[in-house]
Amino acid sequence: MKSLVLLFYGILFLSWGCSKDRNFDERELHLISPEAIAGFDPIHASDMYSGNEMGKVYEGLFEFHPLKRPYELMPNLAESLPEVSADGLTYTFKFKKGVQFHDSPAFKDGKGRELKSDDILYSLKRLADPKLQAKGWWLFDDKIIGLNEWKDKNAPLEATNYDEEIEGLKKIDDYTLIIKLKKPYPQFLYALAMPYSFIVAKEAVDHFGKEFLNHPVGTGPFILPVFEQSNRIVYTKNPNFREKFYPSEGEEGDDKLGLLADAGKKIPMVDKIIVDIVVQSQPKWLSFQKAKADLLEIPKDNFDQAVIGGKELSEELKGKGIRLFANPQLDTTFFAFNHDDPLFKNKKLRQAMSMAWNREEANKLFYNSAALEAQSVIPPGLGGYRKDFKNPYVKFDVGQSKKLLAEAGFPNGKGLPFITVQTRNETVARQVIEHFAKNLSKVGIKIKVGMNTWPELVNKVTKRQHQMYTMGWGADYPDAENFLGLLYCPNSSPGSNGSNYCNPNFDNLFKTATILQESPERNALYEKMNEMIANESPWIFGFHRTKFYLSQAWLKNYKFMEFNHSQFQYLNVDLEVKKELSKKF
Amino acid sequence: MKKNSIWKDAFKTLSKDKWAMISLGIVLIYSLIALLSATGLIAADWAQEVGTSNLPPSAEHFFGTDIFGRSVLTKVIRGTQVAMSVGLATSLIAIPIGVILGALAGYFGGWVDDIITWLYTTFSSIPNIMLLISITMILGKGLFAIYVALGATSWVTLCRLIRGEVMKHKEREYVQAATAIGGGHMRKLFLHILPNVSHIVIINTSLQFQIAIKSEVILSYLGLGVQGEPSWGTMIDDAKLELARGVWWQLAGATIAMFLVVLAFNLLGDALRDALDPKLKGK
Repeated sequence: MKSLVLLFYGILFLSWGCSKDRNFDERELHLISPEAIAGFDPIHASDMYSGNEMGKVYEGLFEFHPLKRPYELMPNLAESLPEVSADGLTYTFKFKKGVQFHDSPAFKDGKGRELKSDDILYSLKRLADPKLQAKGWWLFDDKIIGLNEWKDKNAPLEATNYDEEIEGLKKIDDYTLIIKLKKPYPQFLYALAMPYSFIVAKEAVDHFGKEFLNHPVGTGPFILPVFEQSNRIVYTKNPNFREKFYPSEGEEGDDKLGLLADAGKKIPMVDKIIVDIVVQSQPKWLSFQKAKADLLEIPKDNFDQAVIGGKELSEELKGKGIRLFANPQLDTTFFAFNHDDPLFKNKKLRQAMSMAWNREEANKLFYNSAALEAQSVIPPGLGGYRKDFKNPYVKFDVGQSKKLLAEAGFPNGKGLPFITVQTRNETVARQVIEHFAKNLSKVGIKIKVGMNTWPELVNKVTKRQHQMYTMGWGADYPDAENFLGLLYCPNSSPGSNGSNYCNPNFDNLFKTATILQESPERNALYEKMNEMIANESPWIFGFHRTKFYLSQAWLKNYKFMEFNHSQFQYLNVDLEVKKELSKKF
Repeated sequence: MKKNSIWKDAFKTLSKDKWAMISLGIVLIYSLIALLSATGLIAADWAQEVGTSNLPPSAEHFFGTDIFGRSVLTKVIRGTQVAMSVGLATSLIAIPIGVILGALAGYFGGWVDDIITWLYTTFSSIPNIMLLISITMILGKGLFAIYVALGATSWVTLCRLIRGEVMKHKEREYVQAATAIGGGHMRKLFLHILPNVSHIVIINTSLQFQIAIKSEVILSYLGLGVQGEPSWGTMIDDAKLELARGVWWQLAGATIAMFLVVLAFNLLGDALRDALDPKLKGK
């Protein structure tokens, strides 16, 4: 039977095409992306896959330090961290001189020009342009003085007027800018580090028009003259990239791991990045096995093969020099109720459903028992998470669940309609709900699966056409506000609060907490909100996942990063090692 | 000399064909399983756990268990019900559409023919799976949507065949005789011509049945099909990941079940054509 299984793999593998022989002359970085992306316009970079691709060609004002943990923001296009006024409302930014855009026919003579303050103003205004419907607008909505007014004023106009000055966005000179906020926004700099806020050139947007999304012209370490919708994206090193160096300090222990070996060297160090888009997990696994990928997230069904006893790398992989990384994620998975539905106003019903789900079993089936059961919305690693806090309603207890269900007015599920849970059209996503349904049927609650393409699911949630749905939320930046905001009433659909949960007490705390700078006081408020949410069970909490990655021996400087869109420029490939070890594959 | 009717002749030819009879037997067994499952006499408890997760086939669990410890055999049986019901419902929708439109186009010709020909060429020019996906998007997902989607897309071949056959028959003597004694259009078409082309319907149904079954499996594999019920398609979808763990029995169960019925319908369809089509007589 083994040969049959292999044959099946073989067919799958052939079906996504074979690549050339290995190249030992150039430093090529081979990566796999699990989803096709729509294009390279930063203002629409709403998913991490798009963000990861854009981070190779575009840059933001700030980026996260590739080695330091907890995550630390460092200036990128900005010269330094900004000066902030005492009231936390006025930010003065200074930019690096001599940063060049990529060469492109959009510029005069085809030569890239220097980046100036106007480009930053332009890029921020694009997020607010009513014609563009930027997916990243929520980051700056109601934050910068005059920006919302500018947006509204331009909505009825035929063409958006970018020349008009905005009070909150002021240019001092070509390398200095002042941004004035309406109210304190402690996450502001994080927002400027996100792919949404990457800097684009007006000439490129104008020159390429609708085709702009296929012609990324940034200032980043790699260039991609034309993006074609295909299964492979090839980036080459930007020859005019400014002087940027590999960091010389990191977290404790990084030195021992060899992460500082390239300290002080000019980046990027690889000549090419080749990204293959492979959706199915088995071809991914095979291409890593054949050394056609340098980094891989282990597909769940290959886990036992790769990691023995849930801890040790298998001898076979060890022999090839492959390394294992276990990375707890800053994420939370959940089943969300639609609180527009009067049925789910019933708190005891929500709690009963939560307690009927056997999370331990789900963890074993879907996450190889490596995930952490979520007690509430905030994942470990962020302020507001308390390790010793236990939510009584996430405990698996059929008896208690039945009791709560009876108290809710539905003894043994009598009188309850079928409840449909919407999810993504993917095997494991379906199995998760089937498992949930199987569990809940034991207390008498009937669950149906609703499968959707990703855009369909997002659409249903945005238009409130769902009873329940399930998803995971990954952090955009290291601040629990990003998670608590998912249950903040003003963020209801079409905002990020897809469950349309409204709780005035929670909202008041949210308003108070989120304008505070990071402090023990703010963490205490976050903790309070987190526990309040646990009690109310507006969602059925799932897991904080751990992802397992494998890296080839020749991949250097890899360290897990949650916000990894800027990470690729720091990676390196050891050609000697690659040549030597390739014989083993 | 008394001449046997075409049907009797056909049955005689068919009964001599060993493979055709085996195929017919398989189809009948599948139908019986589907019927028993639909009435709840067997496989009603498919959602029950019978053991732990992913047990290999054994004397106790004939086809092993799936990820949730449910019996794969029971799921295959339940999947048979889904597949056969899709084949049946699709035929029930597609046959009347195909026969009526084909007969009208072939018989009347002229602008009626133009319209109907335009309609089916347009239909057949759209890639089938795309059309199926868009119909399930509109109707929402589930078994009903699959019935409608497959029914609405699979009448084209039948329509084209019937149209051609009716065109041929309307010039025949028996039709002219019917005209001579004052038969109306409807009488000639439905009482005289149609019975003489009905063998096409039977051959076509047999072939269409297995296409419908395959389409259901594909749609369910893509997540557009049956929701919350076992289907061979979803079983294969599960197996795609489980194979890496060496769990092959779910794939085997679903594919063997599908292979047998599709092959049986194909062989039966061929044999029926040999038996019923006068032109192929004595080959």
